[in-house]
Amino acid sequence: MWNLKSDRPIYSQLIEQIELMIVSGIYPAGAKLPSVRDLAGDASVNPNTMQRALAQLENDGLLFSQRTSGRFVTEDVEKIMKTKNSLAMGLINEFIENMSNLGYDRNQTISLIENTAEEEK
Amino acid sequence: MLGKLLKYEIKATSRTFLPMYALLIVFALLNKFFMAVNADYLRIPQIIAMSVFVVIIVGICVMTLIVTIQRFNKNLLTDEGYLSFTLPVKAHAHIDSKMIVSLMWSLLSVIVSFIAIFVMAVNEKTIQGIHEFLAQAVPAFNSLGASGYVILLEGIVLVIIATLGSIVTIYAAITIGNMSSKHKLLAGLGAYLGFGIIEQIVASVIITSFGGTFQRYFESLNRATMSAQIGAVQLVMLWMILYTLFFGALYYILTNWMLQRKLNLE
Amino acid sequence: MENILECQNLVKFFPGCLALNSVNLTVPRGKIVGLLGPNGSGKSTLIKLANGLITPTSGKILINGMEPGIETKKIVSYLPERTYLNDWMTVNNMIEFFCDFYENFNKQKAYEMLKKLGVDPAQRLKTMSKGTKEKVQLILVMSREAELYLLDEPIGGVDPAARDYILDTIIGNYNENASIIISTHLISDVEKILDGIIFINKGSIVLTSTVDDIREHENKSVDTLFREVFKC
Repeated sequence: MWNLKSDRPIYSQLIEQIELMIVSGIYPAGAKLPSVRDLAGDASVNPNTMQRALAQLENDGLLFSQRTSGRFVTEDVEKIMKTKNSLAMGLINEFIENMSNLGYDRNQTISLIENTAEEEK
Repeated sequence: MLGKLLKYEIKATSRTFLPMYALLIVFALLNKFFMAVNADYLRIPQIIAMSVFVVIIVGICVMTLIVTIQRFNKNLLTDEGYLSFTLPVKAHAHIDSKMIVSLMWSLLSVIVSFIAIFVMAVNEKTIQGIHEFLAQAVPAFNSLGASGYVILLEGIVLVIIATLGSIVTIYAAITIGNMSSKHKLLAGLGAYLGFGIIEQIVASVIITSFGGTFQRYFESLNRATMSAQIGAVQLVMLWMILYTLFFGALYYILTNWMLQRKLNLE
Repeated sequence: MENILECQNLVKFFPGCLALNSVNLTVPRGKIVGLLGPNGSGKSTLIKLANGLITPTSGKILINGMEPGIETKKIVSYLPERTYLNDWMTVNNMIEFFCDFYENFNKQKAYEMLKKLGVDPAQRLKTMSKGTKEKVQLILVMSREAELYLLDEPIGGVDPAARDYILDTIIGNYNENASIIISTHLISDVEKILDGIIFINKGSIVLTSTVDDIREHENKSVDTLFREVFKC
C-alpha cells in the first residue's frame, strides 16, 4: 500500500499517498484516521515524519483534528473533489508531457486515447 | 543490588559444585560399604572406588580455583562484560559478589570433604580416638580462658581474610593480564608471579629490618609466663591478620580502579 | 532535561589512536537518530562512553544532564553488536535477571515479542542459533522502558522478515520522552524510520541533518549520500 521512494523526502510522499487514500475513498469524507503511531507503523516510517505530513494536510484543510477523539478526514466533499481533480490534472499533464516527448502532439494523443478506449469495449 | 549479584553468582556456580559434592558423598558411602564388607573378590572395585574418591577431592580443590578464575574472567572481561558493566551497580559490587561466593565454595569444599572422609572413616575405633583426643583437648582449651576464644576467633578471621586475599590477588592478576591484547593469559600469570615476588621482597625487608627485634622478642618469650606467651600468640596472629588485610586491600583497590578506568572490552 | 544526550568537546584517546576528537553533539528527546560511519570512525567509542563502559579522556558526555554512572545506567538500554547474554541461562532466566536489575523492565511486553518472533522462552541460550540469540537480546533491550536506547547494529544478523518486525517494533516503541540512537551499516533499510542522521568519520562529526532535508536538497537517499561521502 505504501510505496515510498528513497530519493524523495518521505514526508512529501506521505502527504501524496494519504491524499490518494482520501480521494480514492479508502478514507472517505468524515472518516476517522488511525493514530499517528499506527499509521507510522503501517508505513514503516518515523512517527515524527508521519506527524509532519498529517499536520500539513490539516493545514491544507483535508484533515481536521479534535482534541480527544483524534484525526478525521474533512466533511467538505467539495474540498475532496477539488483535491481529486487537482491530482488528476497533475497526472494528465504529466502524461501529455511524456507523450510529447515521444513525439505525439495533443490531437494525436487524444485520438490514441479514444481508439484505445474503443478497443477496450 | 549486591544481594542480586550474589544470587546469580551462586546460581552460575552451584551447577558445578553441587553435583561434585553429591558424587563425593556417594563414593564415601561406597567406600564405607567396601570396607565393611572387606571381601577379597571385591578388592579391585574397592581400590578403584577409593582412587575415584581421592580424584574427586582433588577435583573439587582444582575446581574451586578454576571457577574463581573463570567466573571473574568470563563474566566481566569477555562479551558478558557488556551486560555486567551496563547494569546499574558499582564496579566494586561485582568484585564483592564474586569474592564472597568463591570464599563460600572454598569453605564449603573443605567442610564437605571433611564430612565425606569422616563418614568413610568413622567406626568404633575412630570414635574412641576422638573421645580420647577431646578429653585432653577441651580442658586444655578451657584452661586458656577468654584468651582461648580470642585466639580461636583470630584464627577464623585469619583463614577468611587469607582466602579472600588470595582470591582478590588472582582477580588483580587477571585484570592486569587482560590489558594485554594478545597475551592475556601469559600477562596474567606474569602479574601473579610479580605480586608474589613483591610480597616476598616486602616480607624480606621487614624481617631484615626488624630481625633483631623479633629474635629478642621470641627469646624473651621462652622465659615468660604462660599468660604472656598466650598474649604473644594473640599479638602475632593480629599482625598476621593486618598484614594479609593490607595486601588484600591493595589488590582490591587495584582491581576496582582498573575495572572502572581501564576497562576496554573488545 | 530536554536533551537526553549531550557531548561537550568530548575527546577519547587510546594508545596509538585518537578515537574521538572534540565531539560536540546534542540529541533531544523523542527522536530516532542514525549514527552512521565507516568502521573505526568512533561510533562504538561514542556508544561505550554513553554507557559508562569507558571514561572520557577530556570533555563531557551527559545523559539527561548527568555523567555516566549508576543513575544513567538505569535509564539507558544498550544493545551491543555482540551477544552478551549468559549462555547457560534460559530465556526465562534472562527475563528474571532483567526484572531483578532493572525496575523499568516490562515483562509482559518481552513475552509478547518472544511469542511473535517464535522464540521458546524455556530454551537455553547456549542451544540457540546466532540469529535467535540476537532476537532475544533485542527483545530484552526494547522491553525496558528506558529514556535512551543505544542500538549497535540491531538488524545486522537477522533475516529480512525479522528485520521488518524489528524496525516496526522500534517505531511502535516510540514515545516523546525517549530517544533511540541506531548505529548501523544497513542504512537503506533503516532510513525511513530515522528522524535525523549523524555522519561520523575518524573521530569527528562530518554531518548532522534530518533525512528529509538530505533528500530534499540532494535528491538522493541517505544511503546514496553516505556512499558518496565515504567513498573508499
